[in-house]
Amino acid sequence: MTPPTLSARGLVAGYGAAPVLHGIDLDIAPGKITVIVGANACGKSTLLRALARLLPLRAGRVTFDGTDLHRIAPRRLARRLGFLPQTPIAPEGITVLDLVSRGRHPHQGLFSRWSPADAAAVAHALDVTDTAALAGRDLAALSGGQRQRVWIAMALAQQTEVLLLDEPTTFLDINHQIEVLDLLADLNRRRGTSVVMVLHDLNLAARYADVLVAMRAGRLHDQGPPGAVLSAANIRALFGLDSTILPDPVSGRPMMIPHGRQTGQMGQGLAHG
Amino acid sequence: MTDTLSTIARLRRDRLRRRGLVLALLAALILAGLAAMLMLGHRLLAPGVVLDALRGAEIPGVSFTLRELRLPRALLAVAAGAAFGLGGIAFQTLLRNPLASPDIIGISAGASAAAVLAIVGLGLGGPVVSVLAVAAGLGVAGLITALSWRDGLCGTRLILVGIGLSALLQSLTAYVLSRAPSWSLQEALRWMSGSLNGAQMGQVAPLALVLALGGGWLIARAADLEALRLGDEAAAGLGLRLGRLRLGVILAAVALVAVATATVGPVAFVAFLSGPIAARLTGRDGSLLLPAACVGAVLVLAADLAGQWLLPARYPVGVVTGVLGAPYLLALIWRDNAKGAGL
Repeated sequence: MTPPTLSARGLVAGYGAAPVLHGIDLDIAPGKITVIVGANACGKSTLLRALARLLPLRAGRVTFDGTDLHRIAPRRLARRLGFLPQTPIAPEGITVLDLVSRGRHPHQGLFSRWSPADAAAVAHALDVTDTAALAGRDLAALSGGQRQRVWIAMALAQQTEVLLLDEPTTFLDINHQIEVLDLLADLNRRRGTSVVMVLHDLNLAARYADVLVAMRAGRLHDQGPPGAVLSAANIRALFGLDSTILPDPVSGRPMMIPHGRQTGQMGQGLAHG
Repeated sequence: MTDTLSTIARLRRDRLRRRGLVLALLAALILAGLAAMLMLGHRLLAPGVVLDALRGAEIPGVSFTLRELRLPRALLAVAAGAAFGLGGIAFQTLLRNPLASPDIIGISAGASAAAVLAIVGLGLGGPVVSVLAVAAGLGVAGLITALSWRDGLCGTRLILVGIGLSALLQSLTAYVLSRAPSWSLQEALRWMSGSLNGAQMGQVAPLALVLALGGGWLIARAADLEALRLGDEAAAGLGLRLGRLRLGVILAAVALVAVATATVGPVAFVAFLSGPIAARLTGRDGSLLLPAACVGAVLVLAADLAGQWLLPARYPVGVVTGVLGAPYLLALIWRDNAKGAGL
């Protein structure tokens, strides 16, 4: 089965009086990992929310497999398109199993409550996120890294063909960041799930993305493979920062080294010492 | 994978067992409370006599008391308790705050004020009073939402506005009662703190109907309410229609609380206490709607029995629940304050 397409045309959306997105045209590559990058307040998360249908649109439209997103019944859409917000609320006293089982909500009707398919999906989600041993534990008692894996397990249990994640690695230390991104890359390779996420770390974005989407002030600045998008010129345009781009010795993908004002002095210090 | 599957099956089984055990215990308590309500009185009746009289046997000096006085009182206690319990947990879940109970944020006070105006002020009676109480409850819900709205629903501000409005409406109730020609202490106590005195069989059916419709709808939507606890965005990601769901929950919960209030008065703190007690009992895994309804019924039954027979003087039910609820309210504020959570 080919993964569904997700496209935006002339997208204008926002929260208050002024729109945050000023006309975005974007086709999400089916079956690939797309990472949205850009400076703070450039509209990354807003774009992700608009793609997840969490925002009313001022103009333009988002289509899912050719159908207007806002015309698909929410529950039906939720079986095919998942969204994990940056800071979901952990209900007091909830166990890991109960939380991950919530991912099955769109698959359950009023009268068809819990099926073997639900159990299998939840078991798989717990296994691949390495949280099966925690199933009976209270979510509040877990570490930040474990908790984030549990949230991702909930999104996986939803078994959608497209998965949107808003900064899934924030608040995690570097080993947990890698762990979460490896997990999403596996999911993408094994199941062909299209993954779209917002990331802050440009080097991790370049390492894991098939497609980088660079945003600037509510508009699409550039998009394409990391080798093309992560350039010194783009970093300058997006962040107003000078940088050097080198190949990442581990992945071969581009790697960004920021210059900053201190760089020259530090170099001099080394030269004189 | 197989290991995980069996772990899941075991955990779900344990959870269902605990939940079943808690519900069975609560059902047993409700039955015991009902039995006590029917047997206790100026004349202590044996269970056999009670059953005979309920089946229709005419026993002089027993049948009338039982069918016209004790049975309606017992049934109203259960129905009102369940309605308060359901309405309370629905609001607490919707606003993700234990303080957001309809008896704290003014819904009960609004329904009570409307009922007093209708009954004591305008001399109305019957279903009209319930309709007015529901309308007033919805009015209060709309008003506190509008007054606290700022780019969306804000729980804390809504609760503060509700507490203020609640005080205003309670003083309105007191004012109407003080100006009423047929002012009586019984009547005043009913509308200020809730009472089962003067319960009549005709009051049971409307409340049971609202309980079946509103309560039934809420319980059918239990999974949606549980998903709502993950936050608006995560809930929308799971396919919930948030606007519709919120509206439905508010309508159902206000109808439950307002009709119960129009019948027995704003029995203090039952809506507020039932959910948290149910959470303690079930271990807060799974929906609290049904357990909270049962806890509400047990609370009202137990408080009315205590008010009638355990205390030196006879107190209306709301005075007893008020004495139970106030310390918990203080403890909750104390705990949240210690956490630095504000509210």
